[in-house]
Amino acid sequence: MNTAIRTALPGLLFAGLVSGCGSSVTLQTPTIPEPLLEQIDMSVAVRMPENFEHFVHQEKIYGREEWTIDLGRSNAALFEQLFAYMFSNVTILAPGDDPQLMPFDALIEPSIDAFEFSTPEQSNTEAFAVWIRYRLKVFDPAGTMTSNWPVAAYGKSQTTTLGGSAALQRAAILAMRDAAALMIMKFDNVTRISSLAGGRPSQPTPILDKMREESEQAEAQSTVLEGTTDE
Amino acid sequence: MSKSRKLLRVSATILLATIATGCVTSTVIDQRTGLTGINEGEAVVIMAKSYHLGNETEAKYIRCIEDALARGSEGLRVIPHAQFVDSLFPWFEPRTAPAETKNLAKLMDRPGVAERIAEQNVRYIVWLDGDTDRVAGGGSLSCAAGPGGGGCFGFAWWQNDADYDASVWDLHGLESAGTVSADVSGTSFMPALVIPLPFIARTQAKACRSLADQLHSFIVQEA
Repeated sequence: MNTAIRTALPGLLFAGLVSGCGSSVTLQTPTIPEPLLEQIDMSVAVRMPENFEHFVHQEKIYGREEWTIDLGRSNAALFEQLFAYMFSNVTILAPGDDPQLMPFDALIEPSIDAFEFSTPEQSNTEAFAVWIRYRLKVFDPAGTMTSNWPVAAYGKSQTTTLGGSAALQRAAILAMRDAAALMIMKFDNVTRISSLAGGRPSQPTPILDKMREESEQAEAQSTVLEGTTDE
Repeated sequence: MSKSRKLLRVSATILLATIATGCVTSTVIDQRTGLTGINEGEAVVIMAKSYHLGNETEAKYIRCIEDALARGSEGLRVIPHAQFVDSLFPWFEPRTAPAETKNLAKLMDRPGVAERIAEQNVRYIVWLDGDTDRVAGGGSLSCAAGPGGGGCFGFAWWQNDADYDASVWDLHGLESAGTVSADVSGTSFMPALVIPLPFIARTQAKACRSLADQLHSFIVQEA
């Protein structure tokens, strides 16, 4: 028995050492406070991507531990709450729903482009920081995309006696609140979604105008360059 | 126990308590730009300037100032900053909070903002800027343990600086009432001869007490 323990203990110790350290954080579904805003009187449908129901971010920090951040359905909950405050009528589409068969003024399709974070060791501070880049696509009832808006959000929280896990959770929630604040402030200015209320024909948004201009400029530039080469 | 022995023990305790806190020096300055004063029922909110602007004021420092201002029979009515920020969402988030008093008028025109502030009877918003940093340190201290016991030997020291500015905004006139600054420096040291003896300078706590006391006088006393 003693021999078995003597053999097993170093083995367990070695296994513990070689397996390294890992940190896991599970985010509680956030609740955003009721915002002070003027609700837009229109009917919108929202199509959530599949990963909004269970979003997990895994990252191995070079030379340090591996982090697993489980956001659960926090993203879905954030957009459900936010849009319910922003628009008078909101329908969340189920995966099998065909938006063409439903009466609405606009369809919004949020997605997540990137999730990044930094630990106190990386930033040489006492804070965790989280960056989330969402993307919001807006379609008119005919299915034409009228806006494609990237939303970059940031949250930062200092480590406390509760440990890094609590600080990282707080930073993620602050980043989501930051995204919500930005969308409340700018959504209509950037996407001109209210112009679609009542089934009005879509108007191009500044971002799409800019993208179109840039694409035209790039084409013009490439034509010039081609011309130069030919000469 | 003889009287002289008792006296010696008390003196040693007092001496130890005095030196065990390390060395702390502090400077507190206020600069008034408007009249102040607070009526019964009016409240104060303590906020940190946005981290989007590079500010790193610690959450525990904000709580310390809130507690210190509210404490005692002459304590002010302090609304917890988280409650205030939630009640005015999204207009006091780090991204959206007004950075200057000239933005207050526009903020008050937003739907519901003036009403929510009036409901809570908030008279002053105090914006904190600054943090506590370790600015110097040195010495060497090592510890070892063996089958017969363990111990430490050496000497280590470090210096923390706590620099905080508080800008006081008067929501009645939508203008700045002035600023209060606390600059506190504390040196801690730890000699070790078998047992380490920490003499910790409570720099941030001193900065909290000094700033809160000065803020209280600044807000309550009319110029």
